[in-house]
Amino acid sequence: MEAFLPVGFLLIFALLLCIGLFTVKRLLGPRNPVASKLAVYECGVTPEGSARAPFKTAFYLIAVLFLLFDVEAAFFFPWALVYRQSLSEGPALLIAMLVYMALLVLGLVYIFRKDCLKLN
Amino acid sequence: MEAMDLIVTAVKTAIIYLGMVQVVPIMLIVERRGAALIQDRPGPNRVGPFGLFQPIADVIKMMMKEVTIPRQVNKALYLLGPFLVLFPASLVIAAIPFGDFFTLFDRNYVLQVANIDVGILYVLAIGSLGIYGILFGGWASNNKFSLIGAMRSSSQIISYEIPLGLAACSAVVWYGSFSLREMVSIQEGTLLGVLPNWGIFYQPLGFLLFFIAAFAETNRLPFDLPESEAELVAGFHTEYGAMDFGTFFMAEYMNMATMSGLMVSMYFGGWHLPWISDATLLQWLGSRNLLAALQVLTVIVKIAVFMLIFVWVRWTIPRFRFDQLMRLAWKNLIPLGLFNLVLTALILYFKGAA
Repeated sequence: MEAFLPVGFLLIFALLLCIGLFTVKRLLGPRNPVASKLAVYECGVTPEGSARAPFKTAFYLIAVLFLLFDVEAAFFFPWALVYRQSLSEGPALLIAMLVYMALLVLGLVYIFRKDCLKLN
Repeated sequence: MEAMDLIVTAVKTAIIYLGMVQVVPIMLIVERRGAALIQDRPGPNRVGPFGLFQPIADVIKMMMKEVTIPRQVNKALYLLGPFLVLFPASLVIAAIPFGDFFTLFDRNYVLQVANIDVGILYVLAIGSLGIYGILFGGWASNNKFSLIGAMRSSSQIISYEIPLGLAACSAVVWYGSFSLREMVSIQEGTLLGVLPNWGIFYQPLGFLLFFIAAFAETNRLPFDLPESEAELVAGFHTEYGAMDFGTFFMAEYMNMATMSGLMVSMYFGGWHLPWISDATLLQWLGSRNLLAALQVLTVIVKIAVFMLIFVWVRWTIPRFRFDQLMRLAWKNLIPLGLFNLVLTALILYFKGAA
């Protein structure tokens, strides 16, 4: 745990920088709010409707797929760490990884076949 | 830990952090002059000799600008957004090794903010937190351009996170360690007597994947779809002005520096000079601290080269279309990343068996 102590220092410094930037901006910047200045900027055209509009489900799908694949990729990390040391004990870990990888590739192929990533 | 250690560590952390923040003004001028060089125009050359004081002028301008909080925004999240991007960008620096160690009052201190033994995991975990700031900022702005920019940005960053993680994973398999410091120390010496013993010669595909994903992770051209100014005004930071915009900007450059630092540590030998071992250098220089200074200089030069490549690519390659971008990540980079992982494992296995 002691190795992470300097990260605590860094955290404090980063916080100080954020607070500093925020304060400096508040203190130095003039304020002269005008109704049109505070309006939505959409290239000068009067905005139509709200920006709280529904967006494409494709984005949602990507987030779901990311969760699946990133969790699966995260399972590789412990394997990656011990793989080098396990080489002397035969191919057990290699085979286990290949089986797991095959499942992953199967999932990936399924995504492509279903065309989940259609974005246009 | 004693009080002395604590003070030295705090000062060291402050110096490294301030050094990394200096990347921002330096890159401001380098990027603008670099763009001018590539586009065959003079670029900013009025403020100070050769326009070298331009970043100072830029920063003063940003700080003196009017603070506007648009009427329609969700105020708390809007104000929080930029800092949620800057904060993780500041924290990831901790894992990058700048050198072996230096000696002060007969004690050795590592030239790194923290000697974390899970360096890669730390970077991947903290680095991806920046996405919250982008999403909050984009959504809270209550502007259609911001919303689209934020949605694009988040799906792009999470998509490229996977090849990035897979490339890093292959590197972990190769080095057998999560610690960036250990990875760098393995890369000392030469390969076949001619090449430096750098990771890129063992993991060329991994480096390529990491390199491409790094561009997408930092929202740089050719993957700057979230900000594509021709379509989305400025993307997720459309409604931000003054120093808030500057904060996003700072975070982008600090992320670039971190990514460059990662590539240098994982694939380009970190603090090692090519062909010369640290022991020989120590003999020549005669002092541990001189060697440490040389190592820091080496890392800085290597990072600077990558930063220049970032600028060079930005002004050379046109932007992708969004579906092409997603296709590149899912149909090319992820299968290649998996392939690289299997390849690395197989090579290691047959090398070990032979």
